[in-house]
Amino acid sequence: MPLQVQDSGLTGPLGSLGSLGRPALLAALAFALIGLTLCALGAARDRRDLAAAGIRAVVATAAFVAFATFCLLTAFFAHDFSLDYVASYSSRSLTGPYTLTALWGGVEGSLLLWTFLLTVFAAIALTRAPARRSALVAWAGAVLCGISIFFLVLLAVPANPFAALASVPADGQGLNPLLQSPGMLIHPPLLYTGFVGFSIPFAFCIAALITRRLDDSWLRATRRWTLFAWSALSVGIVLGGAWAYTELGWGGYWAWDPVENASFMPWLTATAFLHSVVIQEKRRMLKVWNVSLILLTYVLAVFGTFLTRSGILSSIHTFAEGDTGKWFLPYLAVMLLGGLVLIGSRLDSLRSENRFDSLLSRESAFLANNVLFVAAGFAVLWGTVYPIVNEAFSGVRLSVGPPFFNRVFAPIGLALVALAGIGPLISWRRMSKGTFARVARPPALAGVAAVIVLAAGGVRSIGALLALGISVFTAAAIVGEFARGSRVHRRREGSTWPESLRRTLTRNRRRYGGYIVHLGIVLMVIGFSGNAFKVERSAELAPNESMTVGAYSLTYVDHSSASTPEKEINEAVIAVSRGGERIATLRPQRNFHIAQRQTQSEVAIRTTPAEDLYLVVTSFDADATIVLRSFVNPLTWWIWAGAAVMLAGMAVLLWAPAPQAVPGPAPVRVRRTEVATR
Amino acid sequence: MRMVACALLVLAVTAAPATAGPADVAIDISNQIMSPFCDGVTLHDCPSQEALDLRAKIQRWASAGWSRERIYERLEAEFGAGIRAAPPARGAGTLAWVLPGLALLAGAGAAYSFARRWAVGSADAGTTPVVMSPRERARIDADLEALRGDTQSEVRT
Repeated sequence: MPLQVQDSGLTGPLGSLGSLGRPALLAALAFALIGLTLCALGAARDRRDLAAAGIRAVVATAAFVAFATFCLLTAFFAHDFSLDYVASYSSRSLTGPYTLTALWGGVEGSLLLWTFLLTVFAAIALTRAPARRSALVAWAGAVLCGISIFFLVLLAVPANPFAALASVPADGQGLNPLLQSPGMLIHPPLLYTGFVGFSIPFAFCIAALITRRLDDSWLRATRRWTLFAWSALSVGIVLGGAWAYTELGWGGYWAWDPVENASFMPWLTATAFLHSVVIQEKRRMLKVWNVSLILLTYVLAVFGTFLTRSGILSSIHTFAEGDTGKWFLPYLAVMLLGGLVLIGSRLDSLRSENRFDSLLSRESAFLANNVLFVAAGFAVLWGTVYPIVNEAFSGVRLSVGPPFFNRVFAPIGLALVALAGIGPLISWRRMSKGTFARVARPPALAGVAAVIVLAAGGVRSIGALLALGISVFTAAAIVGEFARGSRVHRRREGSTWPESLRRTLTRNRRRYGGYIVHLGIVLMVIGFSGNAFKVERSAELAPNESMTVGAYSLTYVDHSSASTPEKEINEAVIAVSRGGERIATLRPQRNFHIAQRQTQSEVAIRTTPAEDLYLVVTSFDADATIVLRSFVNPLTWWIWAGAAVMLAGMAVLLWAPAPQAVPGPAPVRVRRTEVATR
Repeated sequence: MRMVACALLVLAVTAAPATAGPADVAIDISNQIMSPFCDGVTLHDCPSQEALDLRAKIQRWASAGWSRERIYERLEAEFGAGIRAAPPARGAGTLAWVLPGLALLAGAGAAYSFARRWAVGSADAGTTPVVMSPRERARIDADLEALRGDTQSEVRT
């Protein structure tokens, strides 16, 4: 091994620690086994010392996995091509931050990153858990160790990132050019953070089922983790869309392909869970539903990885496949069936402690929201696996792509956006129809007015009119909630409007943080509706020729070529005019990546809140003739603006204090008619 | 409900499909079929040269006056049934379309049934008082106090 390392021509300041990676992983596996044993024994025999030792073993596991990850990174930065993985996903020309991207460029590194995040999150969650010596935490430790063992075995057997090559190549095969993008530096780690983060609430849920401590203590212990994982997954999904938009060159951001669906399914069930836990915390209802949802979310997160890593479904986002897929099936079966059996055996402890007071109540709105989210998740899952199912039964491989998903998902999605506006208007427990009609009238009027104005303005797409009308209704309802809360503070305390708004937000960060997230989603839906007005044109242009797209005139005024060690760059200079006035110069590229022998387009975008002008060169001939594909994408800017607002809402939610336990019923009685607050 | 009905009426009156030229027809069709050359994406989204050529071919067919159905049939004959990006709403493909709707209806039905049963159970209790914790009672009192100084319209009863 040392000879191979020497042959690889190490250049990094630390040299390569690649040879230490596998021993570190094996040590981590040993500590995970020890952790599992100690935590389980500690929990089963009520031995707090054993449970505490088990948690220390979890910390040791995390330390060894972190060291193994560091070893692989040093191998990348040192160009240690004695390692198969490093030789396959990097080259000498790969330098700087994209060397880091190579870590998750293939299956083995992705699984190492997954395991690194899992063990570190487990160590933090277990050491910081309230009453960390309790049986709940000990069982959660055992579950997390069990999960870690599965991934460490994967890294030890079918997906060893430290496998050595018999002969060391002079250079590596290089990293896929599509991965050499700023978005790819953070998009995969964020997605993995989301997927892996759900392991924590899942483990505590299983622990709660085992110990029969099925009050809301496990929810409170993991609330921040759930929010953190959901936030990371949300941002990761949006960044994936932004990456597709700026890198793939087809003018869109979401293609409903299996990798995208794999991240979207757990997001949908996790979002349902985030809403339904509120019911359990406030009303001690929906307990079976909540444990089922977190089980489903975790299983879907792993199932998505199985789908996209096994090669049974193809995707433009899949950069690596391996033979790890078959390892996931038994694991998934154990998790799903084990979880369901456990839930079935605890039904007596999962009974709701309260009942609905009325069908017209916020609880009902939450319930409807959950039905829609889960139905949406099922629709996405069904559409994703349908080609496999149909082929298995009929032998015919049919495709399920965007036309199916758009038609099935759009009505559910719009209903969810409408519910985001209806929910805040309804009281907890009960509300009269008359009161609801009164409070819903202003936002409904705003929505209808928006539809009329847009229709009068020439908008003819029913889908876009519905989406925009519902978005305006929901935005008006949310803004109305902020206004109402601020007005109460203003009148009571005599403060200014900004101060009243700040107090409204800070006094109930969870509620108003959620509203901000909803507002972000509304803005994103406004952005999505722009698809209805998309314009696209393609033309072959010689220098100084022009084409039009929408209201824009595009003139191919110049071109240039250059070479770097990684690629040959061909750039077209496009003068953009509108109404006879030159407003911009865009420079789309068509580049040839030398190591990968791959041609790749670099898009050029002029973005404004009204619309994006999106240019991509799909062909660049030797005589400088180009094929220019141009898009006018209305309202796309609002998708990213909405994502930023969502991020702000997530920050407020994460900043909110953990919910306090609601004490049990005491003999204080009021008549139901007195309960009239919202 | 009246407002929603008005909005739907506006939609019905104003919404009319715009006429599409051959380029738009070709773009629309390329969005409705999977690429035979790229994995998991529509022909529209596939960046390969073969996809560009096929898109150009579809545009030529559209310019020559071929109907959409004739273009689809030609593509299906050349690349197989899997080229359509959505399963047909007949035969085995029916299940693909029906199942999500059935799942939604079943979920909605189950949720409505549970909620109604719970709510009816609660109503059956008649004047049975709601049991509240002191903390909850105190919170509601504080909320009511906060709202009391406000206008009548802000207190929902």
